[in-house]
Amino acid sequence: MRKSVVWLSVGLLVLAASVFAQEVALKDPTGDDNGPGTYTYPTDTVYKPGSFDLTSFKLKVKGDKADIDVGLNSALEDPWRMGTGFSVQMVFVFVKSGKGAFTAGLPGLNIKFAEGEGWDKVVIMSPQGASRVKSEVESKVPKDMQGAVVIPGRVRGAGRTLSCSVPLADLGEGDPTTWGFQVVVQSNEGFPASTDLLTRKVNEFEGQHRFGGGNDGDCDPHVMDLLAGEGKGDKSEIAAQHEMLKYECGEGGETKALASLKMVYPAK
Amino acid sequence: MRTGKWTILLLALAVVAATVHAEEFKLNIGGTTYTKWLWGNMRDDGSVYNFTTVPGEGYGDNGQGSEVELLLDAKVSRYVSVKARLHSRFNQNQWTNFGGFGGTNPPKDCTGGDCGEYDPRSNQYVKLRGVAVTFTPGYKWIDTATIGANDFGMFDPFVIGRIRYIDRDNASGLLFQGSANRRAFTWDAVRISLPRLWAGPNYNTGNYTAADAAYGYQFKYTAGSAFDFGGIVQYVNDIEVDNRDTANWDNGRDYRTRFRNGVWGAKFGIHPSSVVDIRGAYYRSSVDSVPMGISNDAPGSFGINGYSSVIAGRHKGESWKLNADFNDPFENGLSFNFELFSIGAEYVSMMAARRESDVLLTEGHDAAFAFPGPSNASYGIWGGNATRIGYGGWDGNAQQVATINVDNEFTDFDEPMAETAIGWKGITFTPTFASGALELAGEYTYLDYNTNWQAWGDPSRSITNTDYPATELDTGVGHNFRTAYQPFQDRTTHIALIKGKYVADVGKGLDIFFKIKTIQEKDYRMNDARFLPFVAGDCPGGGQACANNKRYYSPNNSTGDYFTNPPVITVKGVTGYQWKPFDSLADDDRDLDYKTFQLGVGYQVTPDLYASAAYELYKVDLKDGNTAFQAYQLHEMASGKHEKNKLILKARYILGGAEIGFEYQWNFGWFKPDFGDGFVVQYADADTAKNVHVKVGSRGFMGRWGGWNSLEKREFNQQRLKAFMKVQF
Repeated sequence: MRKSVVWLSVGLLVLAASVFAQEVALKDPTGDDNGPGTYTYPTDTVYKPGSFDLTSFKLKVKGDKADIDVGLNSALEDPWRMGTGFSVQMVFVFVKSGKGAFTAGLPGLNIKFAEGEGWDKVVIMSPQGASRVKSEVESKVPKDMQGAVVIPGRVRGAGRTLSCSVPLADLGEGDPTTWGFQVVVQSNEGFPASTDLLTRKVNEFEGQHRFGGGNDGDCDPHVMDLLAGEGKGDKSEIAAQHEMLKYECGEGGETKALASLKMVYPAK
Repeated sequence: MRTGKWTILLLALAVVAATVHAEEFKLNIGGTTYTKWLWGNMRDDGSVYNFTTVPGEGYGDNGQGSEVELLLDAKVSRYVSVKARLHSRFNQNQWTNFGGFGGTNPPKDCTGGDCGEYDPRSNQYVKLRGVAVTFTPGYKWIDTATIGANDFGMFDPFVIGRIRYIDRDNASGLLFQGSANRRAFTWDAVRISLPRLWAGPNYNTGNYTAADAAYGYQFKYTAGSAFDFGGIVQYVNDIEVDNRDTANWDNGRDYRTRFRNGVWGAKFGIHPSSVVDIRGAYYRSSVDSVPMGISNDAPGSFGINGYSSVIAGRHKGESWKLNADFNDPFENGLSFNFELFSIGAEYVSMMAARRESDVLLTEGHDAAFAFPGPSNASYGIWGGNATRIGYGGWDGNAQQVATINVDNEFTDFDEPMAETAIGWKGITFTPTFASGALELAGEYTYLDYNTNWQAWGDPSRSITNTDYPATELDTGVGHNFRTAYQPFQDRTTHIALIKGKYVADVGKGLDIFFKIKTIQEKDYRMNDARFLPFVAGDCPGGGQACANNKRYYSPNNSTGDYFTNPPVITVKGVTGYQWKPFDSLADDDRDLDYKTFQLGVGYQVTPDLYASAAYELYKVDLKDGNTAFQAYQLHEMASGKHEKNKLILKARYILGGAEIGFEYQWNFGWFKPDFGDGFVVQYADADTAKNVHVKVGSRGFMGRWGGWNSLEKREFNQQRLKAFMKVQF
C-alpha cells in the first residue's frame, strides 16, 4: 500500500512537472519599440503609441495544440475593419525547435539569424486572413522555407494581446521549454512591396504609413521590437536589442551588414 | 566629319548620362485591378455603386465593371521622392457599355452608361490621382515636406480627418513635418486647398475658389512613456472677390470672406502602467458664414429642412471626451473601457473626418436603418423617391463622426456607414473578456443630447427660419446618418449590447459568433404647450371645421404655420379630419423599442477559402408621432411594428495573388403601421397607386403636402449580391 502511494506521488509529481514544463513565458521591456534605437512610428493616427511595443510572449501547450499569446503595450484596435480585433500589427514568432535550419530571415524583414541561432519554424500572426498570408508566402518565401512557415487558422486581438493556436507538431518535437524563440514585431501592410511579406517598410524619415529612422534601402532591419537578452523584461534588454539590430548600409542603400538576431531561451 | 565626331561624342555622353540616371533612380510601378459584379432585385441600373445622393450620379444594384490603378513611385534622390496614381473610375463604366462607344449625344441625364463615349463617367476615362512630391532635406528644423495629394490622416478626426470621396487622397496641399529632442516633440503644419465640392456653406466654396484654404498645425510632446500632450489648430478661409469693389481694378481687386472656421484643441494621455490608459481631448470652434448677395452664396438661414455641410451664421461650439481604459487588471482576460463625451450642437470643423473614422467608443446605431422610411427611402411619400441603399441598408453598425458633413457617397451595401454624432453627449462603458477560444464584449451607452431644445433653441424665430440644416430631419427607426437637428427635441437614448465569438474545436475550428443589442429611446420632441400650433379646442371634432386660431409662442411665430390644421373630409360615408389635429404634446412623441439578434458561423473550408453564414433579426416597436406629426410631412411614417430579417452569406477566396470576395443577402420582413386615430381613412386612387407603388383602393391618408402614407402592412423581400475580384500586380 505504502509503495503504491509512493509511486502514485512520484507519478503525480512527474505529471505536474511535465504540465508546468509545457509553458513558456518571456518578457520584453516597454519603451523599446524603436528597432535599433532610432526607429519612429508612421504619422497616421491609426498607429497609436505602444502599438509595436512587445511586452510579453507566452506559449502554452494544451493537448496537441500550442496556444501563443503576444502582449503589446497598447490596446488593440481594428481601424481597418479586418475583423480580427486588430489591424496595424503583424508578429513573426521564430522557433528554434531543432538544429536551426534557417539563418536567413523572411522577405521584408531584412534580418538574418546568427550562426547556431537559426530557426526551424515561424508562426505568422497577421490580421489578414489565413488565405491571404498563405498566398503571400507561396509567392514570396523561398520554396525551401515555405514548409517551415506556420499560418494559424485565425489570429485574434483582444485587449493588449494577440493570440493564436497552432498544432504543436507544426512547431517541432520535444519540450518547448528547451526551444529558442524570437518574436519580431512588424506592421501589417495590405499593399506590400513586391518583395515584402505583408510588411511595412522603414525609411529614413517616417511617412504617413512608413516607419522612420532607418534607411530608404533594404539594408536596415524592418523590425520595431523583439525579444532580447534573457527575455525577462529588464531594461538592460533594451541595449541588447539595439545591439542585435545593428546594421550597416552602403551609400546607395545597399546592404553591407544585416542585423543578426539571436534566439531567446526560457530560463530553466 | 567634325559634325559626325560631335554627334558621336554627344551620343556617348547621353548613353553615360542615361546609365547613371538608371543606376541612381528607380521608378516602381505597381498596380491593382478591381472588378465588381452587383446584382439585386431592386433592378436599379444607374452605376456600379449601390448608393449616392449626389444628383445626376446614378446608383444601382446591378452591373459589372472593372477598374485599374497604376501606382507610380520613384526615389529621385536621397532628398526627393515622387508618387502618383493613374486610376480609372467605375461609376457608369459597365461591361455592357462594350468599351464605351456610342451613346446619347449631347450627354444628358446619363444613367447606367447610356451616354457612352460622350460622358467621362462611361467612356472608361482615367484620372490622375495622388500626385505628391516628398522632400526629406535633412535639415534640423524640418523632417519632410510633402507637396500635393494626401489623405491627411496624421491629424485628428475631430479637426482635420479622413475625407474620402471615392479616393482617399483627393485633397491636396502643402504638408510640413518636423521634430525635436529625439522626436519627443513632433509637429505637422499644413495648408490644404479647400475642396470646392463640399467644404463650405451649401456644399460649395462660392465662386472664387482658387485661393480658398484650410490651415492646420498640430504638435505632440511625449514626456516619457507615461505622459504625453499635444495641441491642434485649424483655420478655414473661404474668400470671394468683393462685389462692392467696382471702381478701380487697376490696383487689383478686393476680397471678402464668405466663410471662416477656426478650431483649437488640446489633448493629453496618461499611461502609468500597461494596465491603465487615460486620455482626454477638448476642442473649441468658431464659425462664421457671411451672405454677400452673390450666386453660390452662403445661406443666411435655412428652412425647416435645409441641406448644408455647415450651420449658418456665427457660432461657437465645443467638444470633449475623456477615456479611461483598464486592460486586464485582474489578469484573467477581463478589460474595461469608459468614455465620457460631449459633442456640441454648434461644434464645427469643416475638415473633420467625414467617414472612415470612429470618434466614439459606442457602436451607435445599426446601418440597416439608415434613412427615415421603413424601406430606407427618404421623401418616400411622393413618387420617384424609392430606397437607394435598399431595405437591408448597409452592413453592421455605424461609425460616428464629429460633423454633419457626413459622407457615405459611392458606397456598396457591404461597406461601413458613417453617422453624425453632432449634439451627442453621454457615457459609454464597454467590458471585454477573452479567454481561450471565447471572446465576449458588451456595451452600455447613455446618450443625452446638446440638441435637446425647443424651436431650435431660439423661440424668437420662426421654426422655418433656423441656422441649423436639418438634412432630412430626425424621424424613422434609426438615426438618419446625416441628421443632427430637428426643431423640437427632448430625447434620451440607451444602447446596450453583448456580442461574442467562440471557436469550436470542430475540424479546423468553427467560428461561432453572435450579438444581441437593444436601443431604447424616448423623444418627447415638443414638450411645452406654448409651442402647440393652435389654441385649445380649435378643432372641435364631430365633423366641424377647425377655427384656425393660431397659438403664438413669440410675436408673429406659430408652429401653426407649419403644422396646419386638417380639412374636414368625407370618405365612404365617414366624415372627419383628414389627419389628426396637432392639439396634444403627445402627438409628436417618439418611443423606440429596438432589438437586434445575430447568429452566425464561419469556417476555413480550404486553405484558400473562408466562408460564413449569418442570420440577423431586427425587431422594432416604434411610436414616432401620429398623423398630426406626419414625419414632418416629408417622409414615410415609421410608427408601428417592424421585423427585418437578413440572411447573409459571405466567402473569400484567395488564389495566387488574386482575391475574390462574395456577399449575398436575402433581406425580408414586414412593417405594420400604427399611426393612431383621430383621422378619416382614405383609399388610394389610380394616380396615388401609380406614384407610390401601392394597390388601388388600399388604405392610407394624404398629408398636409399631398404625400401618401399607406396604412397597409408592407412586406419586403429583397435580394442582392456583390462579388469582387482584386488583383495586385
